[in-house]
Amino acid sequence: MYQTVVGLEVHIHLNTKTKAFCGCRAEFGDEPNTNVCPVCLGYPGVLPVLNQEALVQAYLVAKALRCELSPRTLFDRKNYFYPDMPKNYQITQFHDPVGRNGSVDFLSPDGTVKTVRIHDVHLEEDAGKMIHAGDMSLCDYNRAGYSLLEVVTEPDLTSGEDTEAFLQSFQRLVRYLGVSDGNMEEGSMKCDTNVSIRKAGEPLGTKVEVKNLNSTRFIKKAVEFETKRQATALDGNRTIVQETRLWNENRDVTESMRTKEGSLDYRYFPEPDLPPFVPDKAFLQAIDGRLVELPLARRTRLLTAFQLSKEQADFVTESRFLADFFETATGTGGTGPAAGQAIANWLMGDVQKELNHFGLTLEASPLTATRLAQLQALLDSGRIHIKIAKQLLVAIFEEDKDPERLLKEKGWEAITTEEQLSPILDQVFAQHPAVVEAIRAGDVRQKGYLVGQVMQATGGRATPGLVNSLLAKKL
Amino acid sequence: MSAPVVSPWKQFQTKKEAYLAYANPWEKKIGSFLSFRPETPAPATPGPLAGLPFGVKDNIAVEGFPLTCGSKMLANVISPYDATVVARLKAAGAVVIGKTNLDEFGMGSSTDNSALGVTHNPWDITRVPGGSSGGSAAAVAAGLVPFALGTDTGGSVRQPASFCGVYGFKPTYGVLSRYGLTAYASSLECPGILSADLALVQSVFEAARGRDLNDQTSLDYEPQAPRPVKTIAVLGDLSDLHPDVRAVYDQTLGHLKALGYTLLTVNLPSLEFAVPAYYTIATAEASANLARFNGIRYGHRPVYSENHEDLVRKSRTEGFGNEVKTRIMLGTYVLRSGFQDQYYTKAQKVRTLIRRDLQKVFDQADLLLSPTFPTPAFVHGDQTMTEFQQKLADKSTVTANLAGVPALSFPAGLSSGLPIGMQLTAPAFGEPRLFEVAAQFATRVPVVPCPGTSLDWSK
Amino acid sequence: MDIGELETTAALAQIDLGNGDLERLGEAVSQMLAHFEKMNTVDTEGLEPTTHALVRDNRVRADDVTPSPLADAMIDQAPEREDRFFVIPNVL
Ligand SMILES: [Mg+2]
Ligand SMILES: [Zn+2]
Repeated sequence: MYQTVVGLEVHIHLNTKTKAFCGCRAEFGDEPNTNVCPVCLGYPGVLPVLNQEALVQAYLVAKALRCELSPRTLFDRKNYFYPDMPKNYQITQFHDPVGRNGSVDFLSPDGTVKTVRIHDVHLEEDAGKMIHAGDMSLCDYNRAGYSLLEVVTEPDLTSGEDTEAFLQSFQRLVRYLGVSDGNMEEGSMKCDTNVSIRKAGEPLGTKVEVKNLNSTRFIKKAVEFETKRQATALDGNRTIVQETRLWNENRDVTESMRTKEGSLDYRYFPEPDLPPFVPDKAFLQAIDGRLVELPLARRTRLLTAFQLSKEQADFVTESRFLADFFETATGTGGTGPAAGQAIANWLMGDVQKELNHFGLTLEASPLTATRLAQLQALLDSGRIHIKIAKQLLVAIFEEDKDPERLLKEKGWEAITTEEQLSPILDQVFAQHPAVVEAIRAGDVRQKGYLVGQVMQATGGRATPGLVNSLLAKKL
Repeated sequence: MSAPVVSPWKQFQTKKEAYLAYANPWEKKIGSFLSFRPETPAPATPGPLAGLPFGVKDNIAVEGFPLTCGSKMLANVISPYDATVVARLKAAGAVVIGKTNLDEFGMGSSTDNSALGVTHNPWDITRVPGGSSGGSAAAVAAGLVPFALGTDTGGSVRQPASFCGVYGFKPTYGVLSRYGLTAYASSLECPGILSADLALVQSVFEAARGRDLNDQTSLDYEPQAPRPVKTIAVLGDLSDLHPDVRAVYDQTLGHLKALGYTLLTVNLPSLEFAVPAYYTIATAEASANLARFNGIRYGHRPVYSENHEDLVRKSRTEGFGNEVKTRIMLGTYVLRSGFQDQYYTKAQKVRTLIRRDLQKVFDQADLLLSPTFPTPAFVHGDQTMTEFQQKLADKSTVTANLAGVPALSFPAGLSSGLPIGMQLTAPAFGEPRLFEVAAQFATRVPVVPCPGTSLDWSK
Repeated sequence: MDIGELETTAALAQIDLGNGDLERLGEAVSQMLAHFEKMNTVDTEGLEPTTHALVRDNRVRADDVTPSPLADAMIDQAPEREDRFFVIPNVL
């Protein structure tokens, strides 16, 4: 039986307004070659100019991944020719990356928390895009020079499932930090996956690099495929070739990429155009100021504090916005397990339903955490009951008003006194004399019909307990 | 510093016919420009250099002008932007009238490595003007422009200035922005100024210098507190000098003594390693800097290519000349894994050593004097001055680039009818010392114009 | 430098060595490399490499968009173009 060993090189587009080394807009989907300037097109004479925000975000991620932060970070040139790379070298960090020797925890699908060591975190630039069209290729350099952060893990992952869970956890982490949207489908996160296998206790086997993976699910499948492929090879006494393979998403297999003869030699050397960066106290304090509670820690805290189920905890910590929303809503409406349960149930149930119905995200919807808290408070105080609460929720979505105001405008406040209810009951009795007679004659089954009529007459605002007791009294 | 330059541009404009009648035959004779547009210069803006025409080495970007770098690779490229130094000189009123010839991408000491034209030395057209800023030196020496911009990676401003009998100034690294200078060896090079008028060199320097937000290695000019130069270091172990250079060198020492300077003989043992260290670093950086030329976004493209790799290889093979290819190969090799420590990293350490040794000299002396180049201008195709010999001869100029310090080549006299330049090197930001001593020297040995030329732009 | 190393180096530099270039350039490169050997005679033990000439640390720019007006002029210089794309022969 073999062990799978996986190491990752994860690239994320940083959340900057401009590219890493020029003032061009970092924007997808614009007309080809519009967000370009002499710098990012590699014109003769131009020089890179480092974007501070990219550097801040790089340090922020390194810090979140518990790295040793570089006291003096430097850029290097990585030399290789490719048409999508205007300078034919990539400005990256080889000798002095922003962070090294870190680690990060993630929740394995087996329910345990596992740790992956981080080899290094470095800042670099992205290349352009090529579109292949028949016997020609079209080059668009809008993406060339985007700030890209590469996180290299140690080979600490041991299954496809864990790899997928780790990546999803990493996506949440960068989103919490606000440094990237981490979207693999849209290419703002990419992951090269190194897979090898070995027998327990043996040294690491020959690794194979798999590229062209644009979802976490494909990565899981690729790891599982490679494990099987490599096991079959070893069982058949064949050696594993160290190579780069491409994931074929139509066939669910990895395929050998035709490699050119002569291995690549990137000839890294220090980038003479960019001076070293030495973070000072103020810079490091600014990084600390931007650090947030990370998703896994927050999940653990909320799970305990509100006695949430695992599903609830996963749900409310899926994004920082949702977690903040949850905490604000519970904080305003009363803290503790009961409030937590109530708010989690709203978010996972009716809120989700209405968001789908209105085609909105929570961020963009009229439902704020305060409004949800107010809604829950109305419910808790008995001024409305659950059915009205659900109506109110819809009304908030429709009219974008506070629950209290809607309650007044709609006149939906619960009927909670005998004085209010008594005349309505008398009216129902008058409308249905035969039913009243039948009940009085002993046919108690028809009582429910009368209750229904009362509820209809009050628009559902009557408190069911009160209706029952008053009905009994009058009958 | 210097008095404001009186604009000759009005005369230049009103006497355009006279100017062209003078300039065109000279230009035909020496071929200093790759593009020459004196008839329709851009309108000048007011400023300390108002109306002053100048030439720009064709590896520095000037909007709307070609940016060929003397290479077939970029023969058809028009620059969409101005280099920072050019923009600043334009803002000070100066006007670009042409782009000057150079060794391809600045790689050479003769300008014979240009793929796009031959430039002759105005003093003797059988001879080279030096290089790589040979076009700029020749144009200034022939009186076609009052000053020109060059670039100095290992002596490329100072050596042609010496060959053509004008001043060639390389400032402290970073003080003149490199933005717009087509990179050859980024950590070594900077723009430089050539002129027969020392005051003008200073005015141009003043107008162009200072930190540039487009160049993060650029620096604000922070000159050392002025103090009169007293001691000038000279090298004790000067050898391999051409007799004419030796003669002018000895005369120069006499003049400096007569001017009251103390000459202090020093030894700079690490100088022996300056050329290998320089060429290792320069070619390594060049191999990456010139990788961008691949025929995709601009520049030379082969008639036919099968795929992108074929396209890139053919563009580069057809577009680059032999010297450029040699240096790219050399630079690629010294960076290769397995060789990098032995060559590139070693050279960077030698560079540290040289800087340290030079600092020791400046602990004892205000300036260092040496011949700019061991020979006078040599003839085109001189078999004794092979590419290899020319590289060895860069010994005294490359030191300033390795250390990032300023240096000035000044016309020190004639020997056998050819001008010979001497070089002063100062510590970082020691520019005032260079100008002070050069100005003193000129009171005893004025700049001699090349026969048949007028260098006087002050009328 | 032997032929094999020369060819590997040329491949990395994306330069073809035909028509006598292999010999001509090979000789020039070898001559310089031999000269570089001279550096091995000097002791540099304990010295830090100098990677930058004379620079100040911590040069950064703010993350402000400065759109370039030069995109169109640069597309016009493309040796071959299709609309706003730079065109190259197909990557196989
Ligand atoms: Mg990388
Ligand atoms: Zn740009």
